[in-house]
This record gives sequence, structure tokens and C-alpha cells, in this order.
Amino acid sequence: MPELPELDPVVHGKLRLAVLSLLIGVEEADFTWLRLKTGSTDGNLGAQMLKLEEAGYVAMEKRFAGRKPQTLYRMTPAGREALARYVAALKQLLGGAL
Amino acid sequence: MTNPVPDNETARDELLQRVELMETMIAEGRKSTARFGWIFVMWGLIYFAAMGWVVFLPFKEWAWPVSVTVGILVGVIRFRRMRAMGIIGNDRGRSVGVVWQAMCVAIILYVIAAGASGHGNQPAYYAAVFFFVGLAHGISAGILRWGVQGLVAFVWWGCGIALFFFNTRNEVLFIFLAAAFFGMILFGLYAMMLERRRAAALVQGQVQHHA
Repeated sequence: MPELPELDPVVHGKLRLAVLSLLIGVEEADFTWLRLKTGSTDGNLGAQMLKLEEAGYVAMEKRFAGRKPQTLYRMTPAGREALARYVAALKQLLGGAL
Repeated sequence: MTNPVPDNETARDELLQRVELMETMIAEGRKSTARFGWIFVMWGLIYFAAMGWVVFLPFKEWAWPVSVTVGILVGVIRFRRMRAMGIIGNDRGRSVGVVWQAMCVAIILYVIAAGASGHGNQPAYYAAVFFFVGLAHGISAGILRWGVQGLVAFVWWGCGIALFFFNTRNEVLFIFLAAAFFGMILFGLYAMMLERRRAAALVQGQVQHHA
């Protein structure tokens, strides 16, 4: 029987998975937009973004748009690879369900 | 690493929920990607509408001011909506945007000055507008390294040159409509098609294909 793949726990978290899925389709996104799309709170999203940053899956940049500060996130190549691995593992685990 | 082996329905359902979550979020991201091809299509149509008004409708002196104002308003509203949705372009996109904004300001000032001084109906007047638009396309093509837009710049410059040699009323109208069709509408539709394809490829190529 083939060995079942393991799921990356950093990617597997619901909010983190939602953020990575959002970021893969856009070049960069700001914190407010991510919060709006995920329906999360500032505190929770901030904590999860930190975990993704520590894992090297997203990169953060602080900028000013006029006088307004912006926190921008973009997905790193490591993040893309991790998400691709996660999807492959999900496919394997779910078999014909996908 | 975690291994929620789907040996029961609950674990399996949880994994399926993750798949659904990903699909929803990817679709949200795609919907929100900044897109600009529509601007060219819109301005091309505005040129056609304004020319149609000039040729077929009364109060022709209002054709261009009204059409251009409508175009600017629609553009501003859509950009504000995009910004409100949190859509953010990259540095290159912002650079290109600044070029087009500067071109718009230049054309508006030029048209007002030429109109007010009574120089608004000479072939060189129209040709200069064509060279402005071609210049914006040319700079944008250089920033984006996009050969097709470079060709579009040459369409506008070529039409600008043609205006010096073919400048009866019908010839000017024909050249203007040809430039608007090829240099705005067709190019805009092509850009929209690329944007749609690119958004799909981003997701499919990076997630599904790798998987």
C-alpha cells in the first residue's frame, strides 16, 4: 500500500490556506483586503500572517500610499511550492473525490 | 507535518472543505486582479461616439467635451471602485498609469489651448494628438516590454504622419476611426483576453499543473 502524503501544517490552517489561495491569484495584496476577503479579525489575521512569514511563504512590505500606511503581502516562490505540494497531497489523500 | 488520514467521513469532509475554501478564495483573488484592457476599449468607443455625434447630431461643438468628460468620470469611478476593493497594482503598473495620466492632462490642455486660440481645426492639430497617444503607448510598451503595444504606438504615429498628407474631411475621419479601432478597441480587446488568460494561468499553472 503506498504511503499517504503528509499535509504541511502551516498551509493546512484554514485562515492561512485562505490567504495563500488569495495571494496566488494576485501579485500583491494589502492587509485590509485580505481581512475583508477572509472575514477575519485584525489580531487573528496578523498572527497567521506572521506564521506564514516565518515559514518563508509570504513576504511583507510596509509602504505609504500618500499619508496612509499600507502593509503589503506577496507570495514567495517557497509559498507557491508549498501550496502546490499541499494540493498534490490533498489530491492523493482524497483520491477520486477531486 | 500533519497527516489527517481520511479514514473516516469527518476527516474526509474536512479535507473537502479545504478544497472548497481554496477554490472560493482563488476565484475571489482572480475577480480582484487589477485589469486595464477595458480602458482602451472604452476610450476607443468614446472616440467613435464623439465622431458619430460630430457627423450626425446637432450641437457638435459639445461632442468632444461631453464625451471626454463621460470617459474621465467612468474611469475615475471604476478606479475608485478598484481601490475600494483593495486591488493594488505593482510598481510597473503604477509607472504606466502615471504616463497615461500625464498624457491625458497634456491632451486636455492642448485641446483647450488650440480650441481657444482658433487653431483647433488644422491637420497638424489632430496629428499632434495622435503623436501624444502614440508616445504614451510607446513609453508603456518600453516599461512593460510589450512588443504588441510598441506596434500600436507605430499605428498612432503612422496615422499622425498620414494626416499631414491626407487631410480632407473624409480622410481625416477615416484615419481617426482607423486609429481608434486598431489602436484602442482592438488592442484593448486583445489586452483583456491576455488578462483573462493570465489570471487563469496564474492559478492553474501554479497550483493544478504543479500538483
